[in-house]
Amino acid sequence: MRAALRWIRADLRARPGQALAVACVVAGVVSALLLSATLFEGAANPWRALFAQTNGADVWLRLQPGTHTAPLARLDGVEQMAGHYQATAATIAVGRGSQTAPVQLWAMRPVPPAVGRPLVRQGRWLTAARPRGVVLEASFAQAVHASVGSAIAIDGLDGNSVSATVAGIASTSDQGLYPDQTPGLVWAMPGLVKAVEPVNQHTVEMVGLRLTNPADTGFVVQQAVTQLPGAVISVWTWSDVKRSVDGGNPLLGLLLAMFGLVALGGALLAIGNAAGGRVLVQVQDLAMLKTLGFTPRQVIGMVVAEHAALAVLGEAMGIAVARLVTALLMQHAAAGALAAVAPLEAGWVTAVAGGTGAAVLLATVLPAWRAGRVWPVAAVRPSVPGKRLSRLARAALLTHLPPAMVLGARAAFTRRLPAALTIAGVALPTVMITIGIGFWATLDNVQRDPAEIGLAAALTVRPGEFGQSRTLSIISADRQVAAAYPLATVSALLPGETSTITTLGAGTSARPYPFHVAQGRLYHAPGEAVASQGLLDAVHLRVGEYLRMPIGGTPVIFHVVGRIIEPEYDGQVLAYGTDTLAQAGAVTPPLSYGLVLRPGVAAAAAADYLLRVSGGRLDVTPAADPAADLGIVRPMLAAMFLVLALIGLTSLLTASAVGFRDHLRDVAALRAMGLTPAQVTVSLVARTAVLALIAAALGAAAGFGLSSRLINLGGQVYGIGAGLGSPPSAEATLVAAAVAVTAAAAVALIPARRAASTSVARMLDPQ
Amino acid sequence: MIRPAASGRLRIADQVTEPGRPLLRSVGLTKAFKTDGGVVHAVRGVDLQVRTGEFVAVMGPSGSGKSTLLHVLGGLEPASSGEIWLDGQRVDALSQAKWAILRRRHIGFVFQFFNLISSMSVADNVEVAALVGGASRRGARARREELLGELGLTAKAQASPAQLSGGEQQRVAVARALAHRPSLLLTDEPTGNLDSSNTAVVLRLLRRSHTGGLAILLVTHDARVASTADRVVNLFDGMIADDTVVRPAPLYPVGASGVLELRD
Repeated sequence: MRAALRWIRADLRARPGQALAVACVVAGVVSALLLSATLFEGAANPWRALFAQTNGADVWLRLQPGTHTAPLARLDGVEQMAGHYQATAATIAVGRGSQTAPVQLWAMRPVPPAVGRPLVRQGRWLTAARPRGVVLEASFAQAVHASVGSAIAIDGLDGNSVSATVAGIASTSDQGLYPDQTPGLVWAMPGLVKAVEPVNQHTVEMVGLRLTNPADTGFVVQQAVTQLPGAVISVWTWSDVKRSVDGGNPLLGLLLAMFGLVALGGALLAIGNAAGGRVLVQVQDLAMLKTLGFTPRQVIGMVVAEHAALAVLGEAMGIAVARLVTALLMQHAAAGALAAVAPLEAGWVTAVAGGTGAAVLLATVLPAWRAGRVWPVAAVRPSVPGKRLSRLARAALLTHLPPAMVLGARAAFTRRLPAALTIAGVALPTVMITIGIGFWATLDNVQRDPAEIGLAAALTVRPGEFGQSRTLSIISADRQVAAAYPLATVSALLPGETSTITTLGAGTSARPYPFHVAQGRLYHAPGEAVASQGLLDAVHLRVGEYLRMPIGGTPVIFHVVGRIIEPEYDGQVLAYGTDTLAQAGAVTPPLSYGLVLRPGVAAAAAADYLLRVSGGRLDVTPAADPAADLGIVRPMLAAMFLVLALIGLTSLLTASAVGFRDHLRDVAALRAMGLTPAQVTVSLVARTAVLALIAAALGAAAGFGLSSRLINLGGQVYGIGAGLGSPPSAEATLVAAAVAVTAAAAVALIPARRAASTSVARMLDPQ
Repeated sequence: MIRPAASGRLRIADQVTEPGRPLLRSVGLTKAFKTDGGVVHAVRGVDLQVRTGEFVAVMGPSGSGKSTLLHVLGGLEPASSGEIWLDGQRVDALSQAKWAILRRRHIGFVFQFFNLISSMSVADNVEVAALVGGASRRGARARREELLGELGLTAKAQASPAQLSGGEQQRVAVARALAHRPSLLLTDEPTGNLDSSNTAVVLRLLRRSHTGGLAILLVTHDARVASTADRVVNLFDGMIADDTVVRPAPLYPVGASGVLELRD
């Protein structure tokens, strides 16, 4: 034991750089994986992050006015209480438009509360200095097109009208998103709320409770109802809010999930190569220790213990770095997808730490076990595995390839297993990078041509005050509009299911809306329709079959002639010409118009023009831009590329170090026979470069084939349907491969030049 | 400079054993290797015996199998067939682990190319051998200081092996081999990589430890080196060709009361 510790200490002190490198690789991989998992969680499950950042309440109670709420804080299981807040119902009108929306007006103080603290995204929170300033909830503000500084009129139920300005926009985890959950949420100073609703009897009291155990909502609500008989009007819990907020952006979640999974594999390989490579370098010394009397088990145990300690150190560093960066992100969160960041649950951290620890142990145990099995004579008679020139090498020499290169390339494979692992360790990141380039290309495609995912119409116009004909005349007169398609949204009950889906009357059968059809064709006659993958899966239908659905009470038979890609509506949508409804005898709901703009026309400019022409009385809504949400993906991809490149570089560095001494012995003999220093450099560089070349070729080829297939697969899983993926561009892939080979050459160049300049005699000297 | 102790003897090995009892014995020992060109029989039926306190040299041209014989006798590689007896115990079929335990108690090795562990200092190299032999930390340190002092290397205790000359490295190797007080020292061409003055120093060292009671089996191709031994065994093509006594081995117990002349 003492002897083992002595060796470990001496080894770490003698080669501190290598030891630190292993620890740093582990730290880097752990922190990168944890950060990706954090961002993935934040993007796929934004509610959790929002709840953490706002210190949300688990239960909200709406109580009768005048209820004494103090006992609620003392309930069993309640950690903290928020409120009570006076809340009143009202309607809001933004600007001079006639659109009014129902809201709940909550009276809050300028000091943000401890529990259920709204997260201000734009503008500022309420202040006593601006008693007429209100803060709107973010999804509501977006729906009513209000921004900071907009003038709004608040009408109380009793007819009191108060004018106010929007001071800020905030997110909250207290209520689901509007219009999913109505009414909208507006926070105002108590004075303003009193002005809107002076009669106390028409206000309710809102109380939020934060529980020690979030699962105890039912129990706590029961107690509240018992303690305050007759006072509780309604209750909602965090799970209701979560369901509403976590609609999820399937495309983003899909991309990030796939990346995380495969990156894990590459990372583990890199760790394996670093740790395993280090053991291979120690093999000579380990054999010598066995001549001194170390048993094989002691030797294996020693090596594994040393690397386990390094792994633990690396993991601790990685977790610390990830925590630090998460805290920084949370503090300086801007609006957008990056804002949804919260510390990871312990499960993730344990999984990542356990996985990397296992990788290090596995990578160390295998070569250590082999070193343990070999008899100690290997210390005095080192056997360099070497065979006769293979037929391939002989052929290569015959074709007048530079002999230095051939020798170098051949030397790369003297140790089969490390060579294979190095190739795998560089190929896997290359596959990932190629797939990433494919994702980038898909993203570019989607942003350049939103019609690919069914967003041909940049603007939607609702007639509003004007009638249909007046609206149509305004639109047709607008030269920026290329085409206008009538749109109608009708809910329908899925046959056999108990859920409703949205159906779209889009265009007419004569002029169908230009959906992107992945399979089949668009509808051309009344009764024909196209459906999304999710709907086809839900009703077990294939393209070409018939579907019978009640539309607004009237059963209609649709002939599904094509499959479209539609990321909205949870991937379940049916689209047909608006005349189909009329023909089937169903009631056509009020139409709006989807406007396809002329190429080069910006949506904002066209919207402004229409508003001006109509005097602000047309309701013009820009189409949701899914790519806006995906804006985070490009920087993430870039960061991933960097991480993957580092992972590949680690494997190359290890490959360069391991077996360098073996090759050096051959090189010494060859130099004595007449190999020039330049040729020596070439052969040593070729050794690493050939491995990188094979790995890059394999990786790029695999990535090319997998990229589109992966996106399409994910699309199918999420109901979007296949057909979204674009292959990576050939130039970018070639550049990536070239970079890999150049990096390998650079990595091998420094020790190679040193070896080339050493005198032959010194190289031949066995010491 | 190596200073002899006042009594004229170098007390390095303190084993008190029965006089002339066979310490190491091999019967019909063979070792064969499989190579690309076929099977090579390096050792073919060797019957060798080394008594306690005996200094035996194995001589032969290169390719005679003497290094392989040494490795097999020390458990560095397994024999193909035959018997090996160490101090009355049969050891040829032992596992690696059991051989390792034997070596840490009874056998020391000195190699031609020194083979010091480059990542450890000189002091650590010597102490590790003592520690693995079961000494306490303090005991190992004391032993190291004693050995390095007697070998004149105290100043270089914290140096790394790469900073030492060939002669110094081999002296450290001898110190390492003797740190755990073995009863048998196996050495393969200990002076093969040294110049003449260093050769003389190391040979003197070996003779001194031998007079302290240590049995030595030395493999060499150099006749002058072989002549420092008590007995010379000639090996040719894996078989013993000759076995001559140069000077008789000690027949009485060597201990504190024994007095021997120092021969140079």
